[in-house]
Amino acid sequence: MSGESGGPGGSRVERRNIEGLGENMQLSSVFQASGLAYALISDTEANKTILSELPPTLGEEFGLLLRGSDAKTGIPLELEAGGTVEGYGVFEFPYGPVSSGVPEAGGFRLLTYGERILKIIPQVNFKKRGVEQRVLGRKPEDALLLIERSAGNFSASYSTCFVTAVENLLGLEVPSKAKWIRAVAIELERIHNHLYAFGRLAEAASQNVAAAQTHALRERVLRLNSKQFGHRYLFGFNSLGGVRRDLPKEECNNLTNEIRLVAREFSGLVEYFLSSRIFLDRLQATAKLPRRDALALGAVGPSARGSGIQWDDRLTYPLEPYEDIYVNLETEPGGDTMARTMVRVREIESSTIALRELLDRMPGDGTEGNTEGHGVGGRTEDFAFCRIESPSGDLIQVAQLDSQGRVSNLQIRPASLVNWLPLARSLEGNVFTDFQFAFESFGLSFADSDR
Amino acid sequence: MPKIWVVRGLKKGVLTTGYPNAKPTPEELPGRSQPPMPTPKADWTAGEKGCPTGAIRSGEKKIDLGSCIYCRLCSSAGFAFEEGDEVGALKASLTAGHREPIKQIFGRSLHIMMIDVGSCNACNLEVLSLTNPYYDLSRLGISFTNSPKHADALIVVGALNPAMADVLKRTYESMPEPKLVISVGACAISGGIFRGAEGFVSPVGDAVPVDVMVPGCPPSPVQILEGLLLGAGRLKKEDARP
Repeated sequence: MSGESGGPGGSRVERRNIEGLGENMQLSSVFQASGLAYALISDTEANKTILSELPPTLGEEFGLLLRGSDAKTGIPLELEAGGTVEGYGVFEFPYGPVSSGVPEAGGFRLLTYGERILKIIPQVNFKKRGVEQRVLGRKPEDALLLIERSAGNFSASYSTCFVTAVENLLGLEVPSKAKWIRAVAIELERIHNHLYAFGRLAEAASQNVAAAQTHALRERVLRLNSKQFGHRYLFGFNSLGGVRRDLPKEECNNLTNEIRLVAREFSGLVEYFLSSRIFLDRLQATAKLPRRDALALGAVGPSARGSGIQWDDRLTYPLEPYEDIYVNLETEPGGDTMARTMVRVREIESSTIALRELLDRMPGDGTEGNTEGHGVGGRTEDFAFCRIESPSGDLIQVAQLDSQGRVSNLQIRPASLVNWLPLARSLEGNVFTDFQFAFESFGLSFADSDR
Repeated sequence: MPKIWVVRGLKKGVLTTGYPNAKPTPEELPGRSQPPMPTPKADWTAGEKGCPTGAIRSGEKKIDLGSCIYCRLCSSAGFAFEEGDEVGALKASLTAGHREPIKQIFGRSLHIMMIDVGSCNACNLEVLSLTNPYYDLSRLGISFTNSPKHADALIVVGALNPAMADVLKRTYESMPEPKLVISVGACAISGGIFRGAEGFVSPVGDAVPVDVMVPGCPPSPVQILEGLLLGAGRLKKEDARP
């Protein structure tokens, strides 16, 4: 392996082999490239990403990450950690894969004793479509169609992550404006996903007005997506070396105004929400996830930040334009459902502020990069990884190309996959009816974790 | 001021679409929900070669909407009109082997249930969007139910996964007669972009009888609503293109 392997993260990436995890370190991903196994480790104190060869000490969490990527299609996989629970009075409640509470194909085994949940075993891979296998041997442009359909609600994050890694491998020059437009899409995506999570929480608490109004706001953001990027879920706006949609100045102003209106209305809603004792009672002290567990089990995104972990890829692994704009790191020490919800609520605000800055200072050059003749002499030995803060947390993709410029290796580490065990841990000891609140506050998606 | 949710709800006014009494607005039926229309000078052979899902059939000179993922690569290749050009609204359609619409038995009420057999979550969210104030499904007497035992119509989304094939069959079998199956999205109708992938068994129509197809990737909520009304026999005949 040559020295230039790695990712587009610049000085935030450190290449060194480590023996084991330090106190404030979190294992983020395990992947294979060019016949070697690597580990990506997030140092939450130094705010650095460490790329290391896989240490021989395989902890519980290492095993889970590996199992997730090796899973076969058609065979559901149980993500189990910790000891077994059995005895007189322990009842196993199967939930899913068809249920209305979780509108996706995926299940849980809930082990309960009376009302108490003793343990939860998430069952994933009911809908593994095999994106990583399917893209092999395809040109990156064609692979992009599959990548953005891995998880529809995180499609902007997925496609940006993939093209950034591939552009890095090919050494493509991407116009600044294209990168800024990608960031706009990612922030819009964050806003509509956070609104969805909040709306579902309100639904779970039977706060019908709050739920209806939040979902209406989300619909407005989806319509903005459609107007500016041509698709409600942002499919197809990214392309290799640039973006397919331009954002002229007057449309930037329009978008700023519209998003500001949405954010203002939402903050009005939140004010109501914070004065509704019925709502708050369901969230406070529900599904507590201590910082220690969050770190050890690999929690990412708002779930980790709700437990006080200071990690946000936009700040700790900044790609252009996030080095230049102001993003507030939203954390809460509580670790309960309320803390995670407040992180999301405040991230909607901070995304709005970031969007305003992105749209105000949008650079003026073109949106399409020069991709002529990029297939020749690609670095086949090297790999590139990229990290993007998707709405549910840190998304990692590792890509490799062959000599014809086709994808020869792709490994996706979705945010939802590593958040299942933190969800399971947080629910231990809670009552059965808290399940929905915990699930929605983590914002997990089976499509994301199964891909 | 006391914070009363009901007052807040009333203050907001009416957001709901006029559909099905009025035509859907361009906002409700955005450009990317419109099918590609070949230009008069379109080169069908080149179009077929460039289409990632094989939706463009040069032999019959038609575009198979059930396979189309609306990626619009054919527009940028010059085969089809650019989006936003006037192409007319897209219709959900009845399948060849559809059953009698079930309006007679249930009157105007319809209880629906959604099953995901391997989607990317976009179709799921669009189906769930039907309950938001912009589309407000319940004004039409249609409501979501939690159990297949209570459902009249089953909405199927996603590319049928080997792990879900049996689950889909059992869900279908536990629904009471008469029943209706609506496959939503390119993945459910034909496999879409996932045709040939490891995690795709067959179109939903091969596993259970399907009555209505709603093409799109994902179809917008208005189109899904159209499919529901079509299956319930609440749209006029001339709207229901076979």
